[in-house]
Amino acid sequence: MIGKPRLAIVGNGMATSRLLDELVQRRGHERFDVVVFGEEPGGAYNRILLSKALADGRSEEIVLKDACWYEQHGIELRSGERIVGAKGRTLLTEAGAVEPFDKLVLALGSVPIVPPLPGIRREDGSLKPGAYVFRTVDDCLSIRAAARRGTKAVVIGGGLLGLEAAKGLCDLGADTTVVHLMPTLMERQLDATGGEFLATKLTSLGMSIRTSTSSKAVLGEERVEGLLLSDDSRIACDLLVVACGVRPRIDLAQAIGVPTERGILVDDRMRVPGLADIFAVGECCQHRGSCYGIVAPIWEQAKVLADELCATDDRAAFAGYRLYTKLKVADVEVASLGAIEAETAEDEVVQIREPHRGVYRKLIVRDGRLVGAQFVGDTQAAAAALRYFDRGDQLPENRLELFCDGAVGATSEPVDVEICNCRNVGKKRLEEAIVGGCDSVESLSCATGAGTGCGSCRGELARLLAQRRRPVPKPEAPIAAAP
Amino acid sequence: MQLPTLHAPATTVRTHCPYCAFQCGMRLTTGDAAAVTIAPDAEFPVNAGQMCVKGFTSGDLLSSPDRVTSPLLRDAAGAWREASWAEALDFVAQEFIRIRQADGPAAVACYGSGALTNEKAYLLGKFARVALKTPNVDYNGRYCMSSAAAAQNAAFGVDRGLNFPVEDIAGARTVLLWGSNCADTLPPIMQWFDKQRAAAGELFVVDPRRSATARAADLHLQLTPGSDLALANGMLFVAVEENLIDRDYLAERTVGFEQVRQLAMQYYPPHVERLTGVRESDLRRVVRQMASGPSMLLSGRGPEQQSKGTDTVLAMINLMLALGKIGKPSSGYGCLTGQGNGQGGREHGQKADQLPGYRLIENDADREHVARVWNVTPEDLPRKGLSATESVGAIGPGGIRGWLSLANDLAVSAPNANWAGERLADLECLVVCDSFPNETSRYAHAFLPTLQWAEEEGTMTNLEGRVIRRRPALLPPDGPQSDLWILRELAERLGEGDRFAFDSPAEVFDELREATRGARADYSGITYQRIDNEEGVFWPCPDESHPGTPCMFETRFAYSDGRARCVPVAHRPAGEEPDEAYPYWFTTGRYREHYNTGAQTRRVAKLAEAKPVPRLQVHPRTARRHGLDADGYVLAESRRGAVRFRIEITPDTRPDVVFAPFHWGGRDAANVLTSATLDPKSRMPEFKISAVRLSPAPDEEELGEAAPVDASQRTRKELV
Repeated sequence: MIGKPRLAIVGNGMATSRLLDELVQRRGHERFDVVVFGEEPGGAYNRILLSKALADGRSEEIVLKDACWYEQHGIELRSGERIVGAKGRTLLTEAGAVEPFDKLVLALGSVPIVPPLPGIRREDGSLKPGAYVFRTVDDCLSIRAAARRGTKAVVIGGGLLGLEAAKGLCDLGADTTVVHLMPTLMERQLDATGGEFLATKLTSLGMSIRTSTSSKAVLGEERVEGLLLSDDSRIACDLLVVACGVRPRIDLAQAIGVPTERGILVDDRMRVPGLADIFAVGECCQHRGSCYGIVAPIWEQAKVLADELCATDDRAAFAGYRLYTKLKVADVEVASLGAIEAETAEDEVVQIREPHRGVYRKLIVRDGRLVGAQFVGDTQAAAAALRYFDRGDQLPENRLELFCDGAVGATSEPVDVEICNCRNVGKKRLEEAIVGGCDSVESLSCATGAGTGCGSCRGELARLLAQRRRPVPKPEAPIAAAP
Repeated sequence: MQLPTLHAPATTVRTHCPYCAFQCGMRLTTGDAAAVTIAPDAEFPVNAGQMCVKGFTSGDLLSSPDRVTSPLLRDAAGAWREASWAEALDFVAQEFIRIRQADGPAAVACYGSGALTNEKAYLLGKFARVALKTPNVDYNGRYCMSSAAAAQNAAFGVDRGLNFPVEDIAGARTVLLWGSNCADTLPPIMQWFDKQRAAAGELFVVDPRRSATARAADLHLQLTPGSDLALANGMLFVAVEENLIDRDYLAERTVGFEQVRQLAMQYYPPHVERLTGVRESDLRRVVRQMASGPSMLLSGRGPEQQSKGTDTVLAMINLMLALGKIGKPSSGYGCLTGQGNGQGGREHGQKADQLPGYRLIENDADREHVARVWNVTPEDLPRKGLSATESVGAIGPGGIRGWLSLANDLAVSAPNANWAGERLADLECLVVCDSFPNETSRYAHAFLPTLQWAEEEGTMTNLEGRVIRRRPALLPPDGPQSDLWILRELAERLGEGDRFAFDSPAEVFDELREATRGARADYSGITYQRIDNEEGVFWPCPDESHPGTPCMFETRFAYSDGRARCVPVAHRPAGEEPDEAYPYWFTTGRYREHYNTGAQTRRVAKLAEAKPVPRLQVHPRTARRHGLDADGYVLAESRRGAVRFRIEITPDTRPDVVFAPFHWGGRDAANVLTSATLDPKSRMPEFKISAVRLSPAPDEEELGEAAPVDASQRTRKELV
């Protein structure tokens, strides 16, 4: 009997979840016997919402696919089963089972980088009690359980994830310090000035920031008691969160002879070069030299891979991704896209610093087009910048216009707007009449004729009156009256 | 041209405006002079004494010199000649019989309208199925709110534009008006938003343009065309993330939310910001405000006229269900229906897949019920037919050869107008029933003149689902006849006269009541008398003692288990997105002064003077980039055609979006540019999104090779 080909997917994170959606859309789950091996128990969950799990301690909401979903779509889910090797067209599980496949997708994800600090691990290799990585729902729930008002917490790493964790800890009432190796925060998304503005903001929210600081050792016998820094100073803490970034998981790939560099190598169709029927997707793969740790490009990869597997679109190709990042931290607005510094002599840089407002904005322009932008403290213009960035449109000649795009203001009002359609009365004439003394809808109608036809503009007349009547704010009275 | 014979002495009749779905109450006074005076009706609660300039000037149509008063047929040279009714009707019937014999009954199609009264819409559906025996009947509502209709049916099990009376708007704390420029298209509705805002409510508008409506709002979300679905899912993400969803409501009144949530949780704000161009801060502000009290989401054609229109509306409904807002006071989802009887027109069987009362033509019990009322056997009823755009595509040898068109102007309203014109020119027999010549009648073989709104009787169902009466205020001129009479006469000639022997609209309405008895849109308890007494009656109204249903879904939805369906829906690109060759989004809409294809309003002097031509809205920066002059012309080209527009340079549109109204035909037709990509669920064409490029156009009429092909030049069959 000839069965359907077996598609084995190793890993059950967000990339797999999206790949399964894309496969189902293309009826790929009918074309293949799909089996998914996942290490974490249960279905895939949404890592975007990790900080929500940290904030309110609920994990059910971040589930992307529950076990039912797999069952409904006839997909075999083998959660809690680790794949340790492969031989020919079979996979070996930790429990010793041999699983055949016709096509293999590696979606192994990434692992948090834990710096080899003395004292960070116990003898068995596990993290010392009190030390955590910020990666899984369980990590979040454990951190949440450990953090109390007054808990002293240290976060190693001042990147996106580290700051997210630090703010979460702050919000739980922990006395939080961020220790960052580089001179400024979020240096992959922000230039030095941006990083400094961000540090100022975070400090004002009660966080301690130590930049240009490297750690030497984790203190404490049984559990974490503090962090020893390279200048031999110490920070006492009960809770240590390591957020030093992630690296693609490639151990299994290496074990079974799949080519890797930083990640598993893939081409534009997510195929592993030189190996028929083996693919990789998500954080574990390396495409044209880049590994991605955010979801948007990974979704695009999943789509391309689904087209490849189901033969639904032979032109589908993953062409790389231009990053847009926002810091997901309440009350702290940071957005960044593209280049962070001028890269050629011709690149033009527009910078606006507003220290009192805590706002820093920067554009990098090449040939009249936006190639990078940073926003700290005010991300209102980020959406507009993103549009220019994505479309490659010429920026306004006056670059500052970009910061007002779409804002309500004098520039977005047409010269005159017809308010009364029946009597053809424009806004200008009405405003003149109001300045001339009309103070009610009736007197305005009388003077201009507006509102005497169908009457549907009377609301607009009232609004105009209210706008014009709004008193001009008086300068504040001096504290001490002049003699 | 003969002037209408007027009632004397002066009488005042309460009726409704001929145009949009708001159906403003108006008082028509006829006196001893030729003039008709029109005033808004302060007693009708919907417009409450207001009316827009279109309604005020609608009386001009009654004395328009363009009115056709005699049936017209083509002479040997292809020019129109006047004919008697008997000759014209015989000709049409013989042609349809000839085509039916040669190519089968499905070769004749009927194409109706949301401008038809309920009685006419009902009778047209019956005429197609019983007299012509064709499955192919559809109508221009397919181009109007079919996506919202499909979505409401899927979510609630029934589709009524608004689930509440418009007065409820005044009590909403928040209104999210999505892709509707109602300040221009339904001006009298603005009074309800004024009241709502006077009571400290907030009004948010989603539109790629800073329209008149957007200017009136507290916050304008100027989104990227085609990203509405992503925006709605993004709002749901925020609602879940910020714990603003109503879990009890979801558990008690809906099914399927878990799957929706799992999908929506992929729409995290920066991703949505990128897809939609809407700031995260605005996204959050809207959702928080909506969750904070009674709130409404009202959609217009913007999100609906897309190849994912149905899914987009489903995403909006998911959001409102998640916030627990549907079926509660001054809350819910609503579709601002466009055409005068867009609501009733979609209920009574002029849709390819439906029978009266929203009964389904593929459902056996529904077929049986309607067959009994029509005195035919269920087996005699055709099955499901082709939708509007598909019917146009099916014109040709071996496909559709004959076409009966009532109260619409397909040549202007269809997407990819050049293509649609070519298809219509290929018909063997095109019959147009209307009061005025239009673009479609250029291709016609017979023109049958009909009555205007102020001359006829019937019922309309406004955007609230309120059934109201159109009342005759004056006698028609000699010549034109009612559509009902025309259908009856044709049925007679097709050998089915006994099933169409109605002497008045009221008799048709009585049969309609029977046909809808027990159906989702149940009219069986509605009578002309009750409509008079109650300022309209809201369906469903299953018997004469039933009060009607102003607010729907208060306790249950129309599915048998009483629960609403949450349907997971994902964003996807439009059928055509801008690229290097065609870098701008082109989108369409309406002017305050004109109504739909403009066949009526372009004939009213005051309106035509105010807006004589369509202008392409271009952002100043875009204009500068292409060297476009404020007083000049711009050539907009898509992959399907080109139109030379006068330009309107305005910062009200985005630099990457250009806009034109679609009220004109021929070489000014915006729809020359649009694409016929269809929504797979509603068969709605993607009017709101196509890709164009821009260049300066010469002032002179000489347009060179890029000249748009004037549809009217393709055929000799000019209307004289």
